[in-house]
Amino acid sequence: MDNGSRIPASGSRQVAEVQAPARPPQHEKYPWPEKSRLLGTRVSRIDGPMKVSGRAKYSYDIVRPGMLYGRILRSPHAHARLKSIDASAAEKAPGVKALLITIKPGEKVMFPGEEIGALAAATEQQAADALRMIKVEWEVLPALANVEQAMRPEAPQVFTPANTRRGTAQEDGDLAAGFKSAAFTVEGTYSTQVQTHTSLETHGCVCEWNGDNLTAWVSTQAVHGTREGFAQGLKIPQANVRVITEFMGGGFGSKFGPDMQGLLCARLAKAANAPVKLMLDRKEEHLATGNRPSAFAKVKAGVSADGKLTAFDATTWGTGGAGAGSDYPLPYIYVFPNRRRMHTDVYINSGQQRAMRAPGHPQGCFVTEVLMDELADQVRMDPMEFRLKNLPPLAPNAMWAKYFPMGAERINWKSRHVTGDPTPGPIKRGLGCSANRWGGAGTGARAHCEIASDGSVVMRCGTQDIGTGNRTIMAMVVAETLGLEVPQITIELGDSHHPFAPGSGGSTTAAAVMPAMRVTAGKARDALFERIAPQLGVAATEINIGVGEVHVVSPSTPDSSASGQTASRSGQAPILRRVAWRDACKMLGTVPVSVDGQWERGLSAGGTSGVQFAEVEVDIETGITKVKKIVCVQDCGLVVDLKTAETQCHGGIISGVNYGVFEERILDRNTANMVNPNMEWYHMAGQSDIPEIDVVLVDTPERGVIGIGEPPAVATAAAVANAIRNATGVTLRNIPITPDKLLTELERAGGTN
Amino acid sequence: MARKKIDESRRDFLKTVGVVASASASLTIAPEARARQALATLGPGEVPVTLTINGRRHQLNVEPRVTLLDAMRTRLEITGQKRVCDRGACGACTVIIEGRTYYSCSMLAIEAQGKNIRTVDGLANGSTLHPVQQAFCDNDGLMCGFCTPGFVMATVALLEKNPNPTPEQAKRALDGNLCRCGTNIGVLKAALAVKGGARG
Repeated sequence: MDNGSRIPASGSRQVAEVQAPARPPQHEKYPWPEKSRLLGTRVSRIDGPMKVSGRAKYSYDIVRPGMLYGRILRSPHAHARLKSIDASAAEKAPGVKALLITIKPGEKVMFPGEEIGALAAATEQQAADALRMIKVEWEVLPALANVEQAMRPEAPQVFTPANTRRGTAQEDGDLAAGFKSAAFTVEGTYSTQVQTHTSLETHGCVCEWNGDNLTAWVSTQAVHGTREGFAQGLKIPQANVRVITEFMGGGFGSKFGPDMQGLLCARLAKAANAPVKLMLDRKEEHLATGNRPSAFAKVKAGVSADGKLTAFDATTWGTGGAGAGSDYPLPYIYVFPNRRRMHTDVYINSGQQRAMRAPGHPQGCFVTEVLMDELADQVRMDPMEFRLKNLPPLAPNAMWAKYFPMGAERINWKSRHVTGDPTPGPIKRGLGCSANRWGGAGTGARAHCEIASDGSVVMRCGTQDIGTGNRTIMAMVVAETLGLEVPQITIELGDSHHPFAPGSGGSTTAAAVMPAMRVTAGKARDALFERIAPQLGVAATEINIGVGEVHVVSPSTPDSSASGQTASRSGQAPILRRVAWRDACKMLGTVPVSVDGQWERGLSAGGTSGVQFAEVEVDIETGITKVKKIVCVQDCGLVVDLKTAETQCHGGIISGVNYGVFEERILDRNTANMVNPNMEWYHMAGQSDIPEIDVVLVDTPERGVIGIGEPPAVATAAAVANAIRNATGVTLRNIPITPDKLLTELERAGGTN
Repeated sequence: MARKKIDESRRDFLKTVGVVASASASLTIAPEARARQALATLGPGEVPVTLTINGRRHQLNVEPRVTLLDAMRTRLEITGQKRVCDRGACGACTVIIEGRTYYSCSMLAIEAQGKNIRTVDGLANGSTLHPVQQAFCDNDGLMCGFCTPGFVMATVALLEKNPNPTPEQAKRALDGNLCRCGTNIGVLKAALAVKGGARG
């Protein structure tokens, strides 16, 4: 996933190497207002009423006349060669209208859940029945169910050219000298689990053909990318494909194209000559639509007697499934002047990884941050002081040195005890902290704006709102620019018929789309002024935007409209005449203002930093961790909607709590089949598991808009792990920290007292 | 993670309609269930079903194995409640029947006959949202919105039973619903913001 930033999203480069300018150049014509009327305020989501009332139609909810239901036939085996397949009974089964087999005898499957065919029937039940009638014979082959199996020298060679792919060593400084100058070293093996995206709306779509033209309602994070994917996959012109995603139920990085299920759905619809809905079920979703790779790191790190990091040497590996990579940034954030790292991708017979909410970063963060606490204990330093001593220099995208003390204040860090809560009794309390970074820059979005003679404003953009609040912040920027209120703006998105916008990944959407909104609305405003100037009997440069009205201003004042100044600043110019917005627009007659615009430089940036603190209570008799509180100090440039930005932080933090103590994809070690492909054994936090969350959003408007979807998800698990360590005195170097692991470790350590 | 009580009648159904209700099994069945076993077997083809949803009667034909959720969504186009886990874990399909929450994915359409079924689609009065719906909007208790109909219904059921819940009571009542975006902070604020629970 391209996060469009100057800061690498993965790899071992450290943020200290690339620093954002203190004040990036501002857009000349339409800069962000110095004083905003709406930006940075709390605005409720404009699609809230649709979503709370059930009126929002998701792809899963689309029903078309004569629509059939598709189901996919999948491999039950982790690794097998097809001997024979007989679908003749299924073809004749009641209700079946189309059937496709996409595997030939002799071909292999590489993971449980791999697609091998599909059919469409009149009802879901008939589709499921028919699927069971397909007789498939397999030659089951040896499979690799976990990294340990795959890395054994005697492991069968399942993947070509090998079960593992060794990367190139990344080295900096003089490792031997670094360890020589270390007073203490810590050695350990750290690991993180595989997690699945578990979007509530599963992957899938409704496909309907009209001749050679395909309309697809797809649960996707990229309507334009998905159009391209359909066109390539079906070998038809992009002009023949329309993708619609008005609402979608979560993607988290897993939904960027039609995927196999989309292409199969389109082909079934073509074959059956009827619309087909094909939404995956929960098990399919876990098996075949992506996951976050596991990460393992065998680390040796050194620290000097005065608490300066000296050396970092890591051998790392992980699995992204059948043939996919697993790299992640390491070490994370802190400055190890001498370092070496060698990463190996390990392939196993499971579904392939996909980008997942801040890909790579939670892994690198967990490994580094737990190590940091262990090193701090070696030199008997407060873990936060230790971090402050080893951070890269302060920069707009590297503000941790400022944020750590802010967060410490709010979590009451001074109440922290040294490692191991000395309080008698089974409940141990602990505090921990960690830091995160992300890119969040975006480019390339285009938009079209119309202002009609009745004053209505429509902004069209082929972006999508995947639950982030994109629709709402788009309306806020347009309303701010035109001097209107948010409900007066109609936002149309989620349709590949609208002007191009990139996919929503890498937290790039806000930074890609908001500049396009600002520029396009600004151009529409200027076009309006040009059109109505003759009727007002003034030059267009003498018209300005007020609140709900346009102002004719003194011609002697500087040309404020062209410089993009909005109401608050135009107030400085003497207003000669006020014309209500509707009356001004009435002058347009039947021809609306209709302009195109796009992302331009000077309104957005990339590079964020943040810190998090966790407070936990651990019951050392049951091993159950209760995350009590998370403090999050986070920047994201110019805050557009404070309300939805805070909710983004809540969401990221809760996903981090899940990563830290609850969720894990568990594969059977013999069959490589997932044993918890559901939502009862694939654990996620329920309402009672949610901690108190204190979000401090640091508004840095001079930097422009930067995305915030991913940054808050990075650091939580590490902060929680460090808090558990602080509470119990035992070090868990792998997540999720479940009661069984904690009790085992406590038992080994003989308890905390 | 506490789970909502799953409607016991699905199990009864399996015992009643299942073709392999063996003699040994029937020994352990409660007398009421045994009495029901004497009823005519339904299906396997489609059977007429009458459902009362949000005060409106709907007549349709579905196979006996079709869940209430699927009957509503695929036959009646009442799509407010979502299908997410389809096995009684996530709560996105939560409906209210006779004042109690049910996972409609874990109840058969044929079992829901003669009962007053309420879904999120019937909560608003025209364009005026139910106070719980309004509270979800005001407190940002939603992101992608896919879990929202379930959380809204669970909250409505809670507040109708207990108009002024404590935070702990509200959390417990919402433990049967899962959100992946992580909107739970806003959800809890919404649930506690509506005083008195009832409309207006």
